[in-house]
Amino acid sequence: MKTATFLTLCLIILASSCLPAAGQTDLNSDRQDELFTLQVLPLLKSKCFGCHGNDPDNLKGEYDLRTRSSALEGGESGGPAIVPGEPDQSPLLEAIRWDGLEMPPKENDRLDEQQIALIERWIESGASWPAESTQAEIRKKQWSSPDPTDGIRVKNSGGLADEWTYRTYPPEDIWAFQPYETTQLPAGHQHPIDAFLQTKLETAKIEMAPRADAATLIRRATYDLTGLPPTPEEVAQFERASRKNQTKAWNDLITRLLAKPQYGERWGQHWLDVVRYADTAGMSNDYERSNAWRYRDYVVRSFNQNKPYNHFIIEQLAADDLVREQEKSEDGKNFNGYTIAPAEAQVATGFLRMGPWEHTAMSPERVSRQNYLDDTVNSIGQAFLSVPLRCCKCHDHKFDPIPTRDYYRFYAALATTQPAEMKAKFLASENRDAFEEERTHVQALLEYATTEQNKLYAKREAAAKKWYEERGIPDQYKPFNERRIQGQQKFFANGEEAQIPPRFIGLTSEEQGVLKVREGETRIWTRRLERFEPLAQSVYYGGDTLLNSRKLRPPNTKNRKLMEQHKTLPLSHIYEGGSVESLGDPVSPGVLSSLQVATYSGNEQEPYSLPQAMDRRRVALARWIAHPENPLTKRSIVNRIWQYHFGKALAGNPNNLGATGKKPTHPDLLNWLADDFVNNGWRIKRLHRLIMTSAAYQASTRHPNAKQLETSDPEGTLWAVFQPRRLSAEEIRDTLLAATGELNLAVGGLPARPEINLEVALAPRMVQFSLAPAYQPSRTPEMRNRRSIYAYRVCGLPNPMMEVFNQPKPEESCELRDSASVSPQVFTLMNSDSVTKRSIAMARRLTADADSIEERVRRGFTLLGLQSPSPATVQLLVDHFEEMKKYHTENQPEPREYPVRLARSVVEEFTGEACHYIERLDIYENYVPDLHPSDVPPETRALADICLLLFNSNEFIFVY
Amino acid sequence: MNPFQLNRRNFLYGLGSSLGSVAFSKLLADQTDIRNKPEKTPRAKACIMLFMEGGPSHIDTFDPKPKLDELHLKQFKIESPRFSGMSRGNRFYVKSPYRFKRTGENGIPMCEHFQHLSDPEVADELCVFRGCQVDSVNHPTALYQMNTGNRLGGDPAIGSWVTYGLGSENQNLPGYVVMTELAAPQGGSGNWSNGFLPANFQGTLLRSKGSPILDLNPPSWKSRQHQRANLDVLNQLNRQSLKNHPQHDDLLARMDNYELAFRMQMEVPGVVNIEEEPEAIRSLYGLDRPETSAFARQCLMARKMVEKGVRFVQIFSGGWDSHDFIERAHKKRIQSIDQPIAALIKDLKARGMLDDTLIVWTGEFGRTADNTVRGGETAIGRDHNNKAMNMFFAGGGTRPGIVGATDEIGQTAVENVHPVRDVHVTLLHLLGLDDNKLTYFHGGRFKQLSQFGGNLIDGIIA
Repeated sequence: MKTATFLTLCLIILASSCLPAAGQTDLNSDRQDELFTLQVLPLLKSKCFGCHGNDPDNLKGEYDLRTRSSALEGGESGGPAIVPGEPDQSPLLEAIRWDGLEMPPKENDRLDEQQIALIERWIESGASWPAESTQAEIRKKQWSSPDPTDGIRVKNSGGLADEWTYRTYPPEDIWAFQPYETTQLPAGHQHPIDAFLQTKLETAKIEMAPRADAATLIRRATYDLTGLPPTPEEVAQFERASRKNQTKAWNDLITRLLAKPQYGERWGQHWLDVVRYADTAGMSNDYERSNAWRYRDYVVRSFNQNKPYNHFIIEQLAADDLVREQEKSEDGKNFNGYTIAPAEAQVATGFLRMGPWEHTAMSPERVSRQNYLDDTVNSIGQAFLSVPLRCCKCHDHKFDPIPTRDYYRFYAALATTQPAEMKAKFLASENRDAFEEERTHVQALLEYATTEQNKLYAKREAAAKKWYEERGIPDQYKPFNERRIQGQQKFFANGEEAQIPPRFIGLTSEEQGVLKVREGETRIWTRRLERFEPLAQSVYYGGDTLLNSRKLRPPNTKNRKLMEQHKTLPLSHIYEGGSVESLGDPVSPGVLSSLQVATYSGNEQEPYSLPQAMDRRRVALARWIAHPENPLTKRSIVNRIWQYHFGKALAGNPNNLGATGKKPTHPDLLNWLADDFVNNGWRIKRLHRLIMTSAAYQASTRHPNAKQLETSDPEGTLWAVFQPRRLSAEEIRDTLLAATGELNLAVGGLPARPEINLEVALAPRMVQFSLAPAYQPSRTPEMRNRRSIYAYRVCGLPNPMMEVFNQPKPEESCELRDSASVSPQVFTLMNSDSVTKRSIAMARRLTADADSIEERVRRGFTLLGLQSPSPATVQLLVDHFEEMKKYHTENQPEPREYPVRLARSVVEEFTGEACHYIERLDIYENYVPDLHPSDVPPETRALADICLLLFNSNEFIFVY
Repeated sequence: MNPFQLNRRNFLYGLGSSLGSVAFSKLLADQTDIRNKPEKTPRAKACIMLFMEGGPSHIDTFDPKPKLDELHLKQFKIESPRFSGMSRGNRFYVKSPYRFKRTGENGIPMCEHFQHLSDPEVADELCVFRGCQVDSVNHPTALYQMNTGNRLGGDPAIGSWVTYGLGSENQNLPGYVVMTELAAPQGGSGNWSNGFLPANFQGTLLRSKGSPILDLNPPSWKSRQHQRANLDVLNQLNRQSLKNHPQHDDLLARMDNYELAFRMQMEVPGVVNIEEEPEAIRSLYGLDRPETSAFARQCLMARKMVEKGVRFVQIFSGGWDSHDFIERAHKKRIQSIDQPIAALIKDLKARGMLDDTLIVWTGEFGRTADNTVRGGETAIGRDHNNKAMNMFFAGGGTRPGIVGATDEIGQTAVENVHPVRDVHVTLLHLLGLDDNKLTYFHGGRFKQLSQFGGNLIDGIIA
């Protein structure tokens, strides 16, 4: 051991003496010291100190990187780790190259080539390691230099450590945060988008694919803007018009599609994916958000109205502030120059209620409150700025110029926001058609649950009375709740139990379980009645306290204590390490300082601050987000819209424009589009038109020079061809319903409940304390065969058909739908009840529409918006039809019966055993079923097989 | 190009979403042999995870606390700024209602109702771990954390990661299968979600009644031959579209899925069918006893699936959330799983499969040493405890015995204390996978099950 140390020491002395003579390097010793202090050491700190320095008592492999001597000496594996001047003899370098040893062990932390080269250079130049005081001087000098040489420094409100505050960034990593000059349009091309794309195409020597044919284009555009296929008549008309005047026909088509109410449904869905729309709140309770549908309709409405995007941002974050401002102003208008109805305003802020949310008796209240605010902060950053802020909750952002301080300034902007169900009158434009029918349904189930519950109460109370009588104290009988309080008080007073009958007296253990279920049902259906009240899932301003999550309402003004809490301005702090218990520096409301965009309410000293009063915090934040100079917001939305049109974004992660997101392939184009968008009133419909009139959008999916394209553009980022896309879950279901003629195109209203797989609908599902009620579809085909955006979205119960086709789960924001092909999709499209029913309905429609089997087959193609089939294909299907007819003549389906009562079992946690009860399925008592296979003759079922094949065909499922 | 070099290792695990799904599935197909060869000496080839939803009490299962006998019903005081239902009001200590005995040569204590796991032949296969702590005291978040590493949900489940890392041994069966008791657990399918991994790594819920996989078979009035005829015509239609769109790669993958689906229709029912198992096996698992038959059925199915090449089987047992009446509730729960698990271990051992099969028994958290008044009564039960719990492992290269310890009342882990991510890292290791290498490029970074890396737990690995 001693010998080894001695040897190492010798080495160090040798190495040190080599240092000045490290002649092979071009660095003088000052430069070497700088290199180490400014680049090498920070790299070691961020990549290695986690295991080799921060915790001296627990050094991995006994290797300590904190000093030069220990760094050179190496660890338990023996031998020096670094040989100054000899990178190739230094095991450290092998390790960071992942050549033999693999350090750092995590893929994420791995050094890139530049970083490896840096370490190599440092070792080569003698592994200089200046004294602490020298380092401090170098750092001081560097930090005070306005123009660092090693990257870009970003001004900010200050990190948790100076190293972070003054660090520099590679320019390409912070492109999105930087202000930029408006890009000039490249000259010599007709369409701005094509002009930008052309530059790169020319470099790659690739031509843009020719324009797709008219039939392909109308299908592409109609799905894109409405999520539905064109009707056969529309296709024919467009083909005719295109022959006359291609440009005019295309422009007219876009105009017509943008004016359809289905446009808002399709594009509203994109936004709902980003904000995680659901009709329930998720987690263990999966509480109903009874009025969330009003926010969903607000989004659809906003798209249809072509609402300027900056207004859309401000309304969702702070429409309540807009209303207060209007009320104070003389002309009744807000600073945007318009008036928003108070009810509409309450509904709009539903955005702030979209995250999963609950509070349970097991969670600390401050943590539940923090969970809400953390989620909201992250979600605002992600949705509007395309910068998820969650990463800076515990530490300054690892890669982006966002300090934790700014996270908590942002957080403070929301600290006075309280989620609640607020009064909001119904608007004339809101669809309330289903109210009566649905209220009857809810009341029927509430009545059933209450009756069953009361039966058990009666039994229990009879036994309780008997208990008192048996003790000769019948007059001491009290109702259950009073007994409970009595027991509680007695215990808390002196730790003794009160003389009261057992809690579940008179009930068998089975009945105890059932009672809990009935009480749960009663709560659920009582709450569901809120759906018909003029309420909105919304927010109001109140102190930074937690409200009970079972019923979120502004506190009763008579409750003085609560009102006091609610009027108290919160003192905001950094929560160190993200913990509510570790208060760090105090902070006041503010925005992201590194963007260098001043708020409207800021001043010279505090340009990035927000009001500190209880209210107006959100509107000031929202106006800053919607600021025309905010470099993130405008690029965020333009990038998203581009992606939905093309299936791929210019910057590949529309939820993350930061350093870890994909870099833009055409930054100039993105910037130009963003400015053009803002300069022309933030109008999304205008942007659609701009994009869709480009040659890129109208390009074929086939390229004449496929081989060349594959080699020079494997990632498809030149936009030389249009990328085919698979229909989304909603498009598949909606198209099937449209093709069969069953689709009800009504706009908005209470969540519709489509038929879903019956086994799933009736399968028991835990929500806290009990089982959730069975899923029952809406009673009539008209009510349930609505567009999928109006389908009831329950976090804990995804519709399996939608799920299998990648409808996103509401827990996380979805920037782009996945569309991978997996075998369960086959089961759904070939075997499921609901697709089978569509095939039957379509067959019946075809039978009515045309007389011969050939015509029926052809009509099937056109109704689904497919290209007309070749005679050979028609023949193939006609032959198959004849074959299938024989089969179906011999095989008769059983008629379907729907259950009106359901036997339930649940493992009851009081007993550890299953308890059993009956659930009423009121909808099926008076159900109007869809057409069932047993209702139609064998020929129709055979034709339905043909329809089923069309539903399963590639041509149907992909848009070209 | 890709943001990372496509060297061998990246090629194995780091395949990012930047590659198109087709390119991806092609690579998967081409690279099956490499992907099946894990980084370290492989031990377990498959995992059966038995998940006790609700939070089984460690104090009443494998971690007895005699000290609580003295403290029973005495006042319990908690000083905490974390104000919740669990820190409010008067609380009292609760002793375990059960007697304990030491089992086998390793002397693992078990409560009296483990009549089968306490058989030395089984007991000496178990590795009880008492050092795990989780972040959350709520069911769904703790369930998500235990299953996916992320308490907020949305990330891939451990079963998805394992199938992603090890690939499939049987293309005709799903690689990751999930079975639930009567009801789906809190948080539902988020517990077996593929998250950002490709969709074919999602857990497949195998149903004990009706069709084992949703819509696996055509409606009753359509025969298999009928379906075959339909598929043949569909194939012709789709081949036509392949001609129309020669540059569209997704088409082939999609067409393959129809054939795969057809083969699954054949193979899945065989695995699910346990009627033909010999009587001795059926009674070993407890299929004939009403209190054990449901879980027995699932354990036996799990064994059959692992035999057929399924990588990860997860079985949820519900109803462990005993805030009250713990004596009868936990007893019934324990009795429902005891014999089937013991049988599973014996059965795997007899077939020489135990070394290759990792068994994990766990809940989402443990329970407190104290409780509060409920409904006016001194409720004998326990609240949620994220600082102490127990889990056990068997087979798959684990070392039998006891690892870690909790304090004298079982309120918090004090020895060999590890966060969930370390359990995940250790489980992956046992399956021959390195958590730091089993990554997927998503949303700008390489994601991993442990979220940010973790440590192996000493003592668990043989």
